[in-house]
Amino acid sequence: MGPGIELKQLSLTLGENRLLKPMDLYLEAGQLHLLTGANGAGKSSLLKCMAGLMPHSGEVLRHWPAQKTNQDKQTVAYIPQLEAFDATLPITIRDYLNASIHARVFFRRINRQQQARIDQILAQVGLSDKQDRKLGQLSGGERQRLLFARALAQEAKLWFLDEPMTGLDQEAQAQIQALILRLKAQGCTLIMVHHGDAFVQQYADQVVEVSEGLKRVFVPNRSIDDPVIHPASEQEVLA
Amino acid sequence: MQAISDYLQQGINDGWLPEMFQYSFVLYALIAALLIGPLLGALGTLVVVKRLAFFSEAVGHGALTGVAIGILLGEPASHPIAALFSFCLCFALLLHWVKSRTQVPYDALVGVFLAFAIALGAALLLYVAKKVNVHILENVLFGSILTVTPSDLILLGIISVISWLLAWRYGNQALMSALQPELARIQGAGGTRANVTLLDYGFVLLIALITVAAVKIIGAVLVGALLLIPATTARLISHNLRDFFIRTLLISTTCCVAGVLLPMGLEIPIPSGAAIVLLASSLFLSIVLLKQLKLLKSVS
Repeated sequence: MGPGIELKQLSLTLGENRLLKPMDLYLEAGQLHLLTGANGAGKSSLLKCMAGLMPHSGEVLRHWPAQKTNQDKQTVAYIPQLEAFDATLPITIRDYLNASIHARVFFRRINRQQQARIDQILAQVGLSDKQDRKLGQLSGGERQRLLFARALAQEAKLWFLDEPMTGLDQEAQAQIQALILRLKAQGCTLIMVHHGDAFVQQYADQVVEVSEGLKRVFVPNRSIDDPVIHPASEQEVLA
Repeated sequence: MQAISDYLQQGINDGWLPEMFQYSFVLYALIAALLIGPLLGALGTLVVVKRLAFFSEAVGHGALTGVAIGILLGEPASHPIAALFSFCLCFALLLHWVKSRTQVPYDALVGVFLAFAIALGAALLLYVAKKVNVHILENVLFGSILTVTPSDLILLGIISVISWLLAWRYGNQALMSALQPELARIQGAGGTRANVTLLDYGFVLLIALITVAAVKIIGAVLVGALLLIPATTARLISHNLRDFFIRTLLISTTCCVAGVLLPMGLEIPIPSGAAIVLLASSLFLSIVLLKQLKLLKSVS
């Protein structure tokens, strides 16, 4: 199960420009939360503040469910907007995934057990038959699915997704959408910047609309009361 | 060391080794080449992935000034190690620090620092050249196998051990941070968060250390070239990361060893650094040509 996220007086100023005015917010655990708004409204910045990638004022608290076993890792995933890899670098999907899964050095030979793990993860995102492709030869959809594979390998429970479907064709969008819905069904907390009304109406548990530095929170087709913080939880603070 | 000398002497007596191996400076230079070659290769792969070729070149040229400052401060002209290391490190750290705090494009910023390093180095060296034998300066700038001593080998050995330990411990994290720094801050290698800033500064430190380590054999000015050329060559003929790494090491080490031994064996009076870089760049151009002529299977 993913954590709940609580923002306390979070604000963001870039130079002279106050991008986000102080806001309080609670995002429930195990739900799909969408950040929407016009271009430049600050939704990607808000996501990065929550992910700990951008210095900000105020607090971001992560309320992780109490750990039942040592295997309940508090892992976090971040899927950025579609980004290009250097096409000429001799780094294959297998290399990339192997280097991201293991802390050991990348130039050692992969053993049978590690290969089996890579096979299993790539099968989940439909990239099994492309292990020897170089990163630069992947399509946009394949690149995004590889990033999902990387996070799946680390068994992430909290996902920050920054427009993961932008720039992809319809088939690739459907594949990414299916992955997101599978994660939601598994109880992961997903916070995603997204454009597109159909997806919002159909799947979002909560929408945070960012406009002129302020947020408006609603559940598609109905308004919500302030949610309650999960009582049995471990708290992680990102200043 | 004595055991190696005895073994080489036996080889000369038996006729399977050329006579040049009877000289201890050849043995020292060979050991130095075998230590520095793999080190430059390993770091070179990251230089290429991080697109820092221009950066390492600038740090190498910063050595001009480091050497001049060392001599002015009274260090021996043949190995002004302390000033060389201190200046290269400060130069690299300052460049990296300015990069992280301004919006100036990185290539433009490195260009400014490179020009500054060459100009300052040229100004100081012209002054220093009046005080010391200009051939000593040539040795420091372009390398000479005659100048390697056992204490240099000890320094090189220590730097090699430190560098390989760092590569072993942080190699994966450095690679993931080089590919996607923002992503690595949240999910680095092994699922742990990478301290990208610290890794970047560690990389800068390694470049400065290796510039010092390579100064006797390759020369301060040409180190940057050897950080770049073997990895760029290997990238043309490698399909995966492991091949890329191993081939870079092989090319780098082979060029270092051949560049040390060939001028001596063939009695060609050129600095070892120049010979090493000429060999490496010739190999690069040959591979490009073979690929263009379709004589070498293209790596897709």
